[in-house]
Amino acid sequence: MKLILRMTLCLALVGSLATLAGSATYIEVTAPGNRLLKLAIVPPQPLGATVQPDLANEMAEAQVFDLTMSGLFTAERRDAAPLSQGLGLSMVDYVPWLTAGYDLLIRGEYVLRGDELTVEFRLFDVLNKKSLLVKRYLGHRADLRQFAHAFSDEVLASLAGEKGPFTSRIVFVSSQSGNKEIFLMDWDGHNPQQITRSGAITLSPDISPDGREIIFTSYKRGNPDLYKRALSSTVEVPVSTRPGVNITGAWSPDGSKIALALSKDGNTELYTVNRDGSAPNRLTVTHAANLSPAWSPDGTRIAFVSDRLGKPHIFVIDANGGNLRRLTTNNGNNFNPAWSPKGDKIAYTHMVDGFQIFVCNIDGNGETQLTSEGSNERPRWSSDGRLLAFSSKRNGAEAIYVMRADGSGQTKVSRTAGKNIHPVWTPRRQ
Amino acid sequence: MRKEFKGMVVCLGLVALMAAGCAKDEVVKKDEPVVEQQTVKQAEPVKQAEPVKQAEPVKEEPKQQEATAAKASEAVALETVYFDFDKSDLRQDARDALSKNAEALLKQVADAKIKLEGHCDERGSDEYNMALGDRRAKSAANYLTTLGVKADRISTVSYGEEKPAVQGHDEAAWSKNRRAEFVIVK
Repeated sequence: MKLILRMTLCLALVGSLATLAGSATYIEVTAPGNRLLKLAIVPPQPLGATVQPDLANEMAEAQVFDLTMSGLFTAERRDAAPLSQGLGLSMVDYVPWLTAGYDLLIRGEYVLRGDELTVEFRLFDVLNKKSLLVKRYLGHRADLRQFAHAFSDEVLASLAGEKGPFTSRIVFVSSQSGNKEIFLMDWDGHNPQQITRSGAITLSPDISPDGREIIFTSYKRGNPDLYKRALSSTVEVPVSTRPGVNITGAWSPDGSKIALALSKDGNTELYTVNRDGSAPNRLTVTHAANLSPAWSPDGTRIAFVSDRLGKPHIFVIDANGGNLRRLTTNNGNNFNPAWSPKGDKIAYTHMVDGFQIFVCNIDGNGETQLTSEGSNERPRWSSDGRLLAFSSKRNGAEAIYVMRADGSGQTKVSRTAGKNIHPVWTPRRQ
Repeated sequence: MRKEFKGMVVCLGLVALMAAGCAKDEVVKKDEPVVEQQTVKQAEPVKQAEPVKQAEPVKEEPKQQEATAAKASEAVALETVYFDFDKSDLRQDARDALSKNAEALLKQVADAKIKLEGHCDERGSDEYNMALGDRRAKSAANYLTTLGVKADRISTVSYGEEKPAVQGHDEAAWSKNRRAEFVIVK
């Protein structure tokens, strides 16, 4: 997907720039006790002859979901009369918004010429009566959700100091086509597309740090082998086809290595290999199973699952082996570790009332249960650590859900049929 | 070595297989001789939506001798071995079954090569179950070698929880899914 996404950052007010430069974030949005900011999102108004309310509403709704899930706002779509001179020349009348209790306002305008779509979004600070952010996006009609998400990312950058994850997509496994294959969708479940068509069981995808390539385990040659392919290509290159299992591949944060579990010498042990599968370096030596590696964001350590003590627990080991320590201290049956992008937390699955998602600090303390409805597995962090994707079996077949890192806002996002499992976030697309 | 032939347990019979609601066999079929297995395949209660696999670049090799080997093996019932939850050590009934299987492999089909498929029930993480299925297959394979079956006649593959023998979410189903199955490959 070659998206022509050209952004013109024209921070309208030099004054607000100075404010931004002065402090790390515009608003102290994460301070405890602060109420959520009230954000009104007005669907972009048409500029020019082609009027498409559906298109405008879809963009606004996408942003409402993005920014609500960020946990910083109560965002709602509000319809308002178009500004007569367009966004550029009209003065925004802040008073009604202020009276209605809003802190922030997003308005926009779009031009649709044939298939070509141009959208401009603006974020306003209602209290201080000024424009905070202006972005313009040029592309095609099919990109409209992408434009909406891109602006959501920028809203978080401008207000909280770090871009949102809303232009990320989620790679996952779906049985929609009959057997398990790799799929890709927007983070909010829109635009699903099937990636692999192997006709064989396909599992455990991971994406390269540059977002271009995936690795996964496939039985297409009879054995659970590890393959690699570019998202833009259909060529699947074998990375590890050693006898036994070649499973749970995880790309190192710098993209140079892949950690995975191999049983070529008997039981399942943890290894790192080069990105082409060469030069295996064995990290664990046990008579047990060691698998599901999760890299720390600095690439120095790996969390993984091992049942060396009997029941499966999460352990942490240096990426070159050594310094092994046990992370989880509960009664066992812990799986699927995922290291937060800030490096401070590890999310995992623990078997209690089915499976539930837990999170703990990297010293193993502070274990907190995040889910309790149905059975929930395999948490994966968004690039900014604000959100977790996971698979949940709660109303029928397993589906991909997202939630905030504190467990709030659990929402089903996958729209594909069948079983949908093994989510992993791509990096954001800009 | 991939063109294995599923001449498994024909004594038990396809009927039994079907009655058991045998799991879809999507993977193994792949590189097998197309004609043969198509029939088997259709017969199974596979889930409907499954698109027929597009023929991969199949490496062609003469399949005849396998067919004959498979024929011979039809006379042999190689028993499936069952395991306890989250365990790969062999229960007494598993050892008994493996002893019978070893006997058959040493006498009746002394030239057959076999693949041991390790399977798990749906509990446990699916990734962990891949490792557990691997352990189960290898545990059964090791026991066979102690009974005199040459190691080079045995290969293993783990399917984790991906190919349950029985659909269901209770111990009755789970106990039938925690297993190592024998497949004659040559």
